[in-house]
Amino acid sequence: MSAFLRSLRSLLLGETWTIPIGVGVSLLLAAVLHSVLPAALWHEGGGFVLAALVATTLTVALWSGR
Amino acid sequence: MAVAAGAVGIEMLEALAIVLAVGVERRMRDAVIGALAAALAVVALGAAVGPALASGADLSALRLIVGALLLLFGLEWLRKGILRMAGLRRRSSSYDEYVEERALLAGDPGVGQTDWAARLVAFKGVFLEGLEVGVIVLALAGSGDRALPALLGAALALVVVVGIGLLVHAPLRRLPETQLKLGVGVALTAFGTFFAAEGLHVEWPLNDAALLYLGVGYAAFAWLAARLLSAQHRPRAEVAA
Repeated sequence: MSAFLRSLRSLLLGETWTIPIGVGVSLLLAAVLHSVLPAALWHEGGGFVLAALVATTLTVALWSGR
Repeated sequence: MAVAAGAVGIEMLEALAIVLAVGVERRMRDAVIGALAAALAVVALGAAVGPALASGADLSALRLIVGALLLLFGLEWLRKGILRMAGLRRRSSSYDEYVEERALLAGDPGVGQTDWAARLVAFKGVFLEGLEVGVIVLALAGSGDRALPALLGAALALVVVVGIGLLVHAPLRRLPETQLKLGVGVALTAFGTFFAAEGLHVEWPLNDAALLYLGVGYAAFAWLAARLLSAQHRPRAEVAA
């Protein structure tokens, strides 16, 4: 049963904690920026900010989580 | 539709490898029973949870949740794919999984007895892969007006994979799975970023075409990261040799 739960955890969250934590932090940061930046600026550039945060998460996962 | 077909096809290939291994090494009947039970469990779970999720949340929150889920899957597939392309991880192969699973299951189930071990292994393999498929299809189908293409893509992949399973297991060996998984990882990450940003009230330049430039950007990133990791790894391997 524990092996099954381990497989389930690995399937939903991945093999390392870097990606789930990175995705959570990225979305949290994006939400904070959304609330503090002027609406027009966020509407036009927010997507690229999120994409950059996602790319950073992937970079950290690749170079630290092997 | 293509993303759903790709993701479902790859996950189902992995499930097929496990079912074939169980069937060949133990008994096909027990493998199929285990696989069918798992498929029913996944469908029941999806039918119970999916509509409740879609009807209970407002569209922005739903897009954010969908985006987060797709990012979790997409980034994990991308990470593994890049490491494989860089030579830091064994290449993905359902055929290898099939061979390994057969080796683990070697033994006689006993004539006339129910082979619960075989059923359980087939159930676990299909249930876990099916759950991932279910989450991806629900995520793609549940955000806006994309339900029909996502379901069509999933159905198409299912037909193709079952067709492969009915023919022979040999085609498993010939698929470029590493590249396919990397491509699906790029697509899922692009969709995840797109939906999560829309959930946070972003208006993408060029609307849905943003998926294209996000995909191109992540693909370029993956290519560059694989080259860098490969270059970093090579001197160490040469020293070790």
